[in-house]
Amino acid sequence: MSSKRASMMPPAPKPPTSLSSSLVIAEHASLTGTKLITLGSNTVIHPRSKLSSAYAPITIGNSCIISERSQIGIQNEPDEEEADPVVIEDGVIIEVGAVVEGKRIGEGSVIEVNAKVGRGAVLGKHCKIGPLCEVAEGEVLPDYTVLFGNGMRRIDNSGVEDLKMKMVARQVEVLRKLIPSKIAKFQ
Amino acid sequence: MSSFTPYTYFQCPCTEASLPNHRNPSQEEPSSSDDDRTFDPRAPRANYSLYPLEHLFYCEDCHQIRCPRCVLDEIVTWYCPNCLFEVPSSSVKAEGNRCTRSCFQCPVCIAPLSVSSLEAPPTGLGYEYAPQNGPFVLNCGYCSWSSKETGIEFEKPNGIFAQLARVKNGGEPILTAKERKKDRERKRDFSGTSAEKEREETPEVEIPREPLDPNEKLDPESQFSNLKAFYQGQLAEASPASALGFTGDYGYGSPGALSRIMGLYTGSTAFDKKVKAKAGTMREAQDALEGLQLTTISEEEEALTKLRTEGWHCTSSASQRAEFLNTNAQFITELRPVAYLLRTKRSKRCRTCRHILSKPESKVSTIRFRIRLVALNYIPSISIKPLQPTSSASSLLQPMRPVQFLLTFKNPLFDSVKVTLATPTKTPGRFASKVTVLCPQFEVGANTDAWDEALREGTGEKRRTKAEASEGQHQAEAGKVWERGRNWVSVVVEVVPASLHIGGPEFLKNEEMKDDEGPLKEDEDVCEIPVFVRVEWEADAAHDESGLGGGGSKEKDVREKRELAYWCVLGVGRIAKV
Ligand SMILES: [Zn+2]
Ligand SMILES: [Zn+2]
Ligand SMILES: [Zn+2]
Ligand SMILES: [Zn+2]
Repeated sequence: MSSKRASMMPPAPKPPTSLSSSLVIAEHASLTGTKLITLGSNTVIHPRSKLSSAYAPITIGNSCIISERSQIGIQNEPDEEEADPVVIEDGVIIEVGAVVEGKRIGEGSVIEVNAKVGRGAVLGKHCKIGPLCEVAEGEVLPDYTVLFGNGMRRIDNSGVEDLKMKMVARQVEVLRKLIPSKIAKFQ
Repeated sequence: MSSFTPYTYFQCPCTEASLPNHRNPSQEEPSSSDDDRTFDPRAPRANYSLYPLEHLFYCEDCHQIRCPRCVLDEIVTWYCPNCLFEVPSSSVKAEGNRCTRSCFQCPVCIAPLSVSSLEAPPTGLGYEYAPQNGPFVLNCGYCSWSSKETGIEFEKPNGIFAQLARVKNGGEPILTAKERKKDRERKRDFSGTSAEKEREETPEVEIPREPLDPNEKLDPESQFSNLKAFYQGQLAEASPASALGFTGDYGYGSPGALSRIMGLYTGSTAFDKKVKAKAGTMREAQDALEGLQLTTISEEEEALTKLRTEGWHCTSSASQRAEFLNTNAQFITELRPVAYLLRTKRSKRCRTCRHILSKPESKVSTIRFRIRLVALNYIPSISIKPLQPTSSASSLLQPMRPVQFLLTFKNPLFDSVKVTLATPTKTPGRFASKVTVLCPQFEVGANTDAWDEALREGTGEKRRTKAEASEGQHQAEAGKVWERGRNWVSVVVEVVPASLHIGGPEFLKNEEMKDDEGPLKEDEDVCEIPVFVRVEWEADAAHDESGLGGGGSKEKDVREKRELAYWCVLGVGRIAKV
């Protein structure tokens, strides 16, 4: 059942998926595991991003951007009970090298480069986890929380989230032209 | 235990010069005592004269090392580190040392702020060329702070500094200095006509823009300018028209002040008496128009309720307040974007002869130097490494066990140099390690072109070093150089580290130990060796002589004897604790 054994087998078993037809998924994206992976419409999965549903299902909403070398899903075997499924809501950007194991990533959140969201953590809407910042396991962040620097945090009151969501949609449109999508490979 | 990197520090002689060296009246005494004196790297003063070689300059005219303490800095250019715009010194004087364009730092996290539009970006054909329209805000890409949070928006995307100077947090306009002055004058005229002394508040019907409220809440800039204007007014009233007929501005540079100061010397006291008589009429500021700001109870209560409702997170941190000019900003909402501080490019001069030691290119975008007389190009560098590679995990020096270190001298000069080393037999301080330089005198080859050398006698050179190397584990011999290359020489220094034992029999203790038997102090376990280095070489005669007239070629042959002597400190390692 471990991902190691699976990778040794010549044709890696495909995880069960539910993919939107307007999804943009690169050929070199890696979807592994045995549980269901659901990807919403207009979401972009960059090459070499790793989605692993070995221990829990993954659900990614609409208009999300999952960057290179980011790791989504529970990474290692849960200790006791079943791990919580990873749910990423609409308009979320997961930057390069980020590790996301959280239970819920609220709408419009940004997980910056090499940031980590621990298992079972819940992020409210429009949160921003700065580069290299970490959200502890099971932590609950209210809406508009910004984590930055050396563990500093604040609540963003700028009220420009609609604009940011619009910008995400535009970014998706650009990426759609740049990344050739190979949905068939993962179905 | 953290690892220890061996280091070499050079002592700048400027500290020696500042000491009263020749306090001895007798002629023969000072020279001998000077030579005997050992530089103590542990002395508190030594901290201020020891530098890594990379931090030092060399004055070609004084033929001396120059450290940051004995050079003079001169500002070549002012520039903004963010937009690299060169700011003329006149505008630095007039407008202050911050960028007056659109460069700001985030008041929350100090990251650079960028200007962006609050409007959705234009779409459709050719949207890249369509101008963005306002309102614009400053926002931080790092912590996502936005000037919108404090209620500041801009009409134009450029010239933010000027726009920001006109709005308060919350969006209310700030009066500019000119407008403030006008207001004050208008107020004064008004009250002047109604009553001489009384400064009662009078509603100004004809100008609805600014109701002049004596309890008005002022921003720091307006408060300062109001106060300044008030005191200037007070001074002008207190002092009569000066001898030259000037009134008003009573700064120290004003003609009035000047004539008064001159009066002190000429003995005309009449003027002074007049001033003294008038001095009693000066008073303090009374209302907001004069720059007085009273803290009201309601304000304090407001702050308290805010603290209660929004909590700790709405307050500003000490570092945020320090960055910001107004240190009264208690809450995050009171912070304002911080304009970038300008940086300078500086040239450095020798303090003794005023010759330039370092001069950067004045253009901001270039990092080249026009003149750069760094000590690295004049003084042999010294690097330290242990002779026996330490295989054991601990890099600490074992007490009482001799260790050998390789000192490699590398000559940057184009002439070969003769180096003489002198060390005290025991390192100064409570824990005296024994030091022996096995080869205290040697010559280091010139820093000639590597290829020249290879063509000339490369084979012979190579064979010699190779032969020595092939001998393998040969013992370090007294009086012999360990290894030699084109422009470098390695010599061996042997150290017997002291034991860090405190106490013990009386006869084993040195003077300092007898004075102080306290516990081990910070970094007292570091074995530091003072070394006196004397470098001698023959160089071409000074440039200024050879440059004059036809005698140049003849004087080229004239070789000048040069000598440079200085103290160094070698930090070789930490001694293991017993
Ligand atoms: Zn100096
Ligand atoms: Zn600037
Ligand atoms: Zn910021
Ligand atoms: Zn000089």
